[in-house]
Amino acid sequence: MADILLYRPHFVAFIILFLLGMYIMVVNPNLVKKLIGMYLMQTSIILFFIILAVKKDSTIPILLDSATALPPEAYANPLPHVLMLTAIVVGVSTLGVSLAMVIALYRQYSTLEEDEILGKMK
Amino acid sequence: MTSNLPGFLFAIPFFAAIVIPVVGFTNQKFCRPIALGALVFLSIVSVIGLSEAVSHGPLSHEFGGWAPPIGIEWVVDGLSGLLMVAISIVSLIALVHAGPLVEKELSDRVIPFYSLSLLLIAALGGMVLTGDLFNLFVFLEIGSLASYVLVGVAGGRSLHSAFRYLILGTIGASLYLLGVGYFYAETGTLNMADLAQRLPEVIDSRAVLTGLLFIVLGLAIKMGLFPLHGWLPDAYTYAPDSFTPLLTSVVTKVPLYAFVRIAFWIFGMTTVSTQIPILVVLGWVGAVAAIVGAYLAIWQENFKRMLAYSSVSSMGLFMLGFSLGTETGFAGGLFYVLADTLMKAALFGVAGAAIYQCGASTVTDLVRLRRNMPWVSTALLISALSMVGIPPTAGFFGKWHLVVGALEAEKYFAVTAILVSSMLTALYFFRMFQRVWAEPLQLVEPHVLETPFPIRISLGVLTFGIMALGLGSDLVMGLIFESVIPKGF
Amino acid sequence: MIRPHDSVIVHTLARVFTPIIQLFALYVLVHGHHSPGGGFQAGTLFAASVILSILAFGIQGSLIVLERRAIILGGIGILLYAGIGLLPLILGEEFLNYGELPIPGMEASARRHWGILGIEIGVTIAVAATAVSIFYSLSGRGEGEGKYYG
Repeated sequence: MADILLYRPHFVAFIILFLLGMYIMVVNPNLVKKLIGMYLMQTSIILFFIILAVKKDSTIPILLDSATALPPEAYANPLPHVLMLTAIVVGVSTLGVSLAMVIALYRQYSTLEEDEILGKMK
Repeated sequence: MTSNLPGFLFAIPFFAAIVIPVVGFTNQKFCRPIALGALVFLSIVSVIGLSEAVSHGPLSHEFGGWAPPIGIEWVVDGLSGLLMVAISIVSLIALVHAGPLVEKELSDRVIPFYSLSLLLIAALGGMVLTGDLFNLFVFLEIGSLASYVLVGVAGGRSLHSAFRYLILGTIGASLYLLGVGYFYAETGTLNMADLAQRLPEVIDSRAVLTGLLFIVLGLAIKMGLFPLHGWLPDAYTYAPDSFTPLLTSVVTKVPLYAFVRIAFWIFGMTTVSTQIPILVVLGWVGAVAAIVGAYLAIWQENFKRMLAYSSVSSMGLFMLGFSLGTETGFAGGLFYVLADTLMKAALFGVAGAAIYQCGASTVTDLVRLRRNMPWVSTALLISALSMVGIPPTAGFFGKWHLVVGALEAEKYFAVTAILVSSMLTALYFFRMFQRVWAEPLQLVEPHVLETPFPIRISLGVLTFGIMALGLGSDLVMGLIFESVIPKGF
Repeated sequence: MIRPHDSVIVHTLARVFTPIIQLFALYVLVHGHHSPGGGFQAGTLFAASVILSILAFGIQGSLIVLERRAIILGGIGILLYAGIGLLPLILGEEFLNYGELPIPGMEASARRHWGILGIEIGVTIAVAATAVSIFYSLSGRGEGEGKYYG
């Protein structure tokens, strides 16, 4: 347990962010704050993938001249970065759709708290 | 063998989904012909694809010319070809059925409805055909976003159900992505075939176990498996009646297909039964889901809500069938999945037609169907008998093969669960029969006419399909055993 | 109605920054082939410049005035992307395999270079139009106000 905290603090940060995002989403009654929790949770998963891509003493994977041979240890792994570009786009689209839904809910019930909406729906 | 056909299976609904808003802003009348034409074209191409895959072996398409495992490939083999045919034909029938309903309740939102429905169908096709785990996530999210909006497009109570569906669905997709991350960290590849080859060496690591658990949890939220089904009753009940046949018949089946592909093709049947015994857990979860879903359906007065809990019960039966661990159990589960797409589309189509034509939303009000709506009441009768499991409908043969598979695997709790849930299903459907057909007709019932032609023809085709699938079940089971189940399962 | 901001500092800075942001967006788009960047990032930057000018100058300050027109522009962007992808599929190769298109006078690597650039331009147009239309629907004053969620 102690060596996880000492040598791999980034994984601990990912776990804390993920659980924090989920806690906000579950506990908070305000709809917009639930969306903040959802986006925080998705961002923590993006952080997890980026952690997988890091190597010790590596540089950015940009090819400056194509004449020399490429040792794979010298470059950080670009594949998780590319995957996470797509995941960021997916997160932004989900946020856009959910904000539009929250605005429609507000226009209908004129409140943003979930318990009041449930009360008005009865 | 490489082929162009899977590319067309993606391009047809995708292009139709983009062209519909661009063309439809000039004249709204063009939306429906473009959508239906694209789906007819898609059905023809998917049938051609399935016959090619069955006779000549799996078709594979490498996007961008990059060979796997570096590139993304799409594969049409027996399982994905069969599901693609089912998705395209059932969604064509569902969109034909939706015509009059869209004009009545969504009259100013016709363009978003057709465009998003086609985008959803393109995404479902993409999920079924892809051979890459991250590509599956992308299409999962595209389809889910389209269905969140379509569930909420009716305004009113559907907005809150759509919001709840959005939150829970996003949690599910994020958990799936986390699981894919663990697999990538341990093996370094995202391609399904390559992962299947690299997995046996690292099968004992905790990362693989954690990844599998996250993926199963995420997909279970998406498909509405019992404890994680919280979004399902509200979403099915309050979604617009034009969308519910499409939503209930195909949208929850595709995450189930994803689970089957990952558990049986990547891990292998013996691995998930003995080394990482998730099938044991999922068998019990499925059994409980089947019984509890059927029990909760008995107490519902709203017809769509009753059918929603019935869907929860059916999903439990699918999971039970797939977790039996034998070839017969798997084939029975797959046959019952195909039968259920037709049955759910028919039942929710009847519910939509009843609300459209005579405002009947509760089970007691369905008595208005009896006098003048022969097509709708026949469809209701056949599909309800099929859900209970009365021969010679497709539902009977599905449950029959499930019970035979469970007896073969000697899992007697599964046999008990299937029989108990069938009895409970019979309870609420026969109560519905009694209310609809056995009670004396009031003389002051409002005079209702038969439904418009699109509703009639779609319900008729679905009814015919249920009977045909039941009578031809030998052919379909033979096809499944020959082409779907790989040798040495 | 989004009214123009009434501070001279905001007006001046918005007038200075909007073309700089758009120029940077074009730079990010074209250099996506050689350095971090590409279609989605450029589209978001472009949309940010449009939103900045709307926030500073009111609705009249925007280039894409109507929400309906923004969605059509987004559709054209996606059609550009998917059309370039579909062309090899019709001609017999795979989807998005623009290295095999029979254009004379260019070798395969040059064809891939120009193919990627064309695709990224389509993606930029689509993303910029979509982001601006999201902004319009959230501000509640797009042309379809009250139209889609009655």
